[in-house]
Amino acid sequence: MTAERRVANWLGLGLFALLGVAAVAPLFLIIGDVYIKGIDAINRLGGLWHFLTELPPSPFDEKGGIGPMLVGTLYMTALGALLGVAVGFPLGVYIGEMRREKFTNVARAGVNVLVEFPTITIGLFMYAIMSLAKEDLNEWVMKPLSHVLKAAFGDWVSWFIGPLDGYNAYAGAAALAIIMIPYVALVTASAYASIEQPLREAAYDIGGREFNALFVVLRKAVSRAVITATLLGTAKIAGETAPLLFTAFGNFYYAPFTGPTGAVTLWVWYAAQTPYDVQIASAYGAAAVLLTIILIIFITARIKR
Amino acid sequence: MLGLVLVVLFIPYLIAAYGLLFVKLRWGLRLFGVFIVVTIGLLVAMFLVEAYPILARDGVAVFLRTDWDPVRESYGVLQALVGTVLTSAVAIALAMPMAVGVAVTINEILPARWRGLFGSLVDLTATMPTVIYGLWGLFVLGPLLQGLVNALAGGVVMASPYTLFTAGVLLAIMISPYAAAVIREGYALVPKPVEEAIYAVGATKFEAVLIKLRYIRNYILGGFFLALGRAMGETVAVAMVVGGNFARLTTNLFESGITISSLIALQFPNAAAYQYMVPALFAAALLLALFGLVINAVAIYIIQRWQV
Repeated sequence: MTAERRVANWLGLGLFALLGVAAVAPLFLIIGDVYIKGIDAINRLGGLWHFLTELPPSPFDEKGGIGPMLVGTLYMTALGALLGVAVGFPLGVYIGEMRREKFTNVARAGVNVLVEFPTITIGLFMYAIMSLAKEDLNEWVMKPLSHVLKAAFGDWVSWFIGPLDGYNAYAGAAALAIIMIPYVALVTASAYASIEQPLREAAYDIGGREFNALFVVLRKAVSRAVITATLLGTAKIAGETAPLLFTAFGNFYYAPFTGPTGAVTLWVWYAAQTPYDVQIASAYGAAAVLLTIILIIFITARIKR
Repeated sequence: MLGLVLVVLFIPYLIAAYGLLFVKLRWGLRLFGVFIVVTIGLLVAMFLVEAYPILARDGVAVFLRTDWDPVRESYGVLQALVGTVLTSAVAIALAMPMAVGVAVTINEILPARWRGLFGSLVDLTATMPTVIYGLWGLFVLGPLLQGLVNALAGGVVMASPYTLFTAGVLLAIMISPYAAAVIREGYALVPKPVEEAIYAVGATKFEAVLIKLRYIRNYILGGFFLALGRAMGETVAVAMVVGGNFARLTTNLFESGITISSLIALQFPNAAAYQYMVPALFAAALLLALFGLVINAVAIYIIQRWQV
């Protein structure tokens, strides 16, 4: 090997390594920036517990928190993830297992397109659906339903079920679910598609019915991939902002989920663009809390693997 | 009434689909497949319906004009379209080398023990909330780039820290893991005999890498289009650093501009006060959705043609 080729080899590989590191380096800068400024901000705004439960600071407050936003984020993320898995998993089984059907290709193309769709268009879609459905829905379903439930269980029901506003937590959760469904479906599909044929035949043999074979026996073979996908999908939707802009809208107070609902991401988006130091500080605190949630979910998913 | 039917039907639909899973499995599964196709169809139909007033008034002119003047009820989204193209171009130009670098670093350079960790870090870069990227871009990256560009140019080229260029650089960081994921997938599929043949003729590792990259060029192209789709659709982070100049067309990267998605995010909250602004924004969203459909279809076609 000539000297030039050896030098070219090292230079070339070094360049690739440099580019690879350049792709990951900002991650550390961002995490460092968020935690350094965020922890300082949380301490300044009244300590961790105060920060996690109190109302957000107005421009003239010294202290404040992200209580309502945290509740909203947890509620919408939980609902969205639940619906996302409930629809995404069977959908994934369909496109992964029934590959001989013509329609599977259509469904697979649909999932592939939806997973890469701009998230803001999904938010706008839910907004359009809500504005179309709101009045009739309240008139015929939500009002009678909330009357019955209130009479049966007491007034606290109206925090969850009642006449809906144009902006509400359920529209937000639905938008998050639409983002999560294709993600779970794709991972489930590739997990089912990668099952070896002998194992599949054995499963059909001992399963008896196709349902048992697919959902009871083969489930064990794919559960790890599906659980990881669920966790990563949950982390992803917990950090989504764009689909919530016009569905949950954001709220600074503890309020019923049938009306505008706050989310941590929405607060970061709003507060970071205000000119007030105290709100910018709370944005950093909120970002640190959000990042902690995401990191916990992400690391759990990685360790389980 | 139609909306009520849509929302209310969804619950029995889901129950029926689950019920059918137990009774007639294949039909139950098909119902889930129908759901996803109907969702996409509804999405496009909904945007067409909502955008109809402005399309009926202005026709395609709404996509060709560059003014955004709510007071005169005159809306054009060409400046946003140009902004989207410019930021995506900057982002892709920076992100693709990084994505290839990630794939090569993981597969060739790092020792086996470190590959999983490095891969996890890349995945985490993709999972990070976009609003946190926006926060970082707003307070760290923007001022940093402004200082850097002005120092390199020796004058005030970049008057504001929030420009199309800032948005492009931030986007590059955000989308490179998506392209990297596709390229890594392809890299792992280079057949062992091919690799052995490359080394058998006496190639150095670097030369082998170049040959393998040429071998998986379809995956690189697929990753390119997927990352492009991401870059065009990204909203919150871009809206925070792009500068929000929606009234005037600019092709100067170092001026503040607007993209389609950030136009929607920034203008929608006060759109209800104007008669035609909501339709105009839905027309912009329709454009974005169509871009998304076409770009992703191309990406999927390229990747799948290679696989089968």
